Amino acid sequence: MYNKFYKYRWQYLMILPGVILLFLFSYIPMAGIQVAFKDFQIGTSIWNSAWVGFGNFSFLEDPQFLTVVQNTLYISVLKFIFGFPAPILLALLINEVTRPVFKRFVQSVSYLPHFFSWIVVAYILQSFLTLDGGLVNQFIGKAGGEPVFFLGSTEWFRPMVVFSGLWKETGWNTILYLAAITTIDPQLYESAKVEGAGKLAQIRHITLPGIMPTISIVLILSIPSLITVGMDQIYPLMNSANQSVADVLDTYILRNGLQQGYFGMATAVGLLSSLISLTLVVSTNQLSRKLNGEGLW
Amino acid sequence: MKASRGEKIAEYIIVALLALLCISVLYPFLYMLAISLNDGADAAKGGVYLWPRNFTLINYEIVLGNETIRHSYLITVGRTVIGTIGGLLVTLLVAFGLSYRGLPLRSTILSYILLTMLFSGGLVPFYIQLNHLGLINTFWVYILPGLFSVWNMFVMLKFIQGIPEALVESAELDGAGPVRILMQIIVPLSKPMLAALGLFTAVGHWNDWFAGAFFVTKQDLIPVQTFLQQLLSAQDLSAVLGSNNNQEALARSSQMKNITLMSIKMAVVMVSALPILCVYPFLQKYFVKGVLLGSVKG
Repeated sequence: MYNKFYKYRWQYLMILPGVILLFLFSYIPMAGIQVAFKDFQIGTSIWNSAWVGFGNFSFLEDPQFLTVVQNTLYISVLKFIFGFPAPILLALLINEVTRPVFKRFVQSVSYLPHFFSWIVVAYILQSFLTLDGGLVNQFIGKAGGEPVFFLGSTEWFRPMVVFSGLWKETGWNTILYLAAITTIDPQLYESAKVEGAGKLAQIRHITLPGIMPTISIVLILSIPSLITVGMDQIYPLMNSANQSVADVLDTYILRNGLQQGYFGMATAVGLLSSLISLTLVVSTNQLSRKLNGEGLW
Repeated sequence: MKASRGEKIAEYIIVALLALLCISVLYPFLYMLAISLNDGADAAKGGVYLWPRNFTLINYEIVLGNETIRHSYLITVGRTVIGTIGGLLVTLLVAFGLSYRGLPLRSTILSYILLTMLFSGGLVPFYIQLNHLGLINTFWVYILPGLFSVWNMFVMLKFIQGIPEALVESAELDGAGPVRILMQIIVPLSKPMLAALGLFTAVGHWNDWFAGAFFVTKQDLIPVQTFLQQLLSAQDLSAVLGSNNNQEALARSSQMKNITLMSIKMAVVMVSALPILCVYPFLQKYFVKGVLLGSVKG
């Protein structure tokens, strides 16, 4: 027994840093969830803090919390409805391009925004949409219209989030679909042409079925993220004017936890959302097993 | 092959649509570049769309002369280099160790690792732990928590498992130990994978503003993106001019009144985004490969 472990001593030594890092930065925070049921102040010990039962869950009665949940679902569902089909469409369009140089150019350019931070994207929006001197409002002004305060209005916030999300990630998300398309047997297209099938018929009967497995995997993988709207995108665009529609679970936790020091309450919110996403991941896996014959793990 | 009239038209429409898409990506950068290279007061009058009308470098002089920005650049470069090299090292070592199928307790360790992908303590307990470890307000808060990426490790593990076992076995027969096998067989064969993962890690470090905004309060520890984030909602120029030590630029006070917050902001964005724009063309071949390898089902 000892010999068996000794034989692999180098391997254990290599794995050890990863095990320690996960223990420090994943497992101890998991144990820290008890803060959700305790009266904890920063600077004191978690273990010595007093238990308060479900006292920290009083946010469930907070009407503002209900709004936050609604905002989260609203934004994530909107992003999904537009964000899921967009890369499929774009991949189909790119695939129709016959000139290889142009094709590669389009791909390179459309991947590019993925590599910039949401902060940079927020600046791009600001430079185009701001009231004083923003390009869009300059045009609206020239056309004789009233300037629109895109960045500080409740009705423009959601379109802004959806649009910037599409702009940043659609190109990048085509990679998988384009790769799936290249694995389709070209002979299928040849024989379809012989039988007189037009381009649209070829897309419908060959390309789409060919990438269907990829589509279903991407669909399954995106279900668990349905209740999380990235802080990364929302926070830079949020301000006091649009907060009523922009406030999502992540920003709510951040504000109440790190910024205002309601650690117990913010942890309780986090725990609830972690549990929901865990449920989503596990049930998604079950679903995938049923549909695909194999799960994600 | 002869295309019908309808198909020809469709092709033109597709090319036009895709060209439009490319413009929508490239134009914002050209626009911001033009604004940043233009006299601020002049740009505010409108009409600068593609080329600077009243060319000036004053915005860049002010931005690059700003002590805070220069320092934040140093922090960003430092964390990107250290974080990427360290992250690749830890990820590679763990993946290689776990690639030995005969390793006792292997599946236990794998589940220990996998569990962290399913459930987490959330932001607040994570913050409390960082505070407990004394990492808040230190440079290492950028490095240590992200040193081991479970996701990258699984991608790497899958890649190593794809390397023919015969290679490793014959090296073992020659008396090579695991360290030698790693250095002389695995690393050379994994170069494209390491390049892709390294690129993603580096971009992640370069673009991260969150840690700098919430885990750090010392202004001399913030990275460029956090500086950008603070400047985003700034209402006046004091955020940029406050710690400016470029006296020469400031001394030209006749120009000072022509500087606007917007033109300065655009210059800061360009300064933070240019490195990515510059390395992007060279790294492209790696990341497509990386994504595809990483998405292999399993």
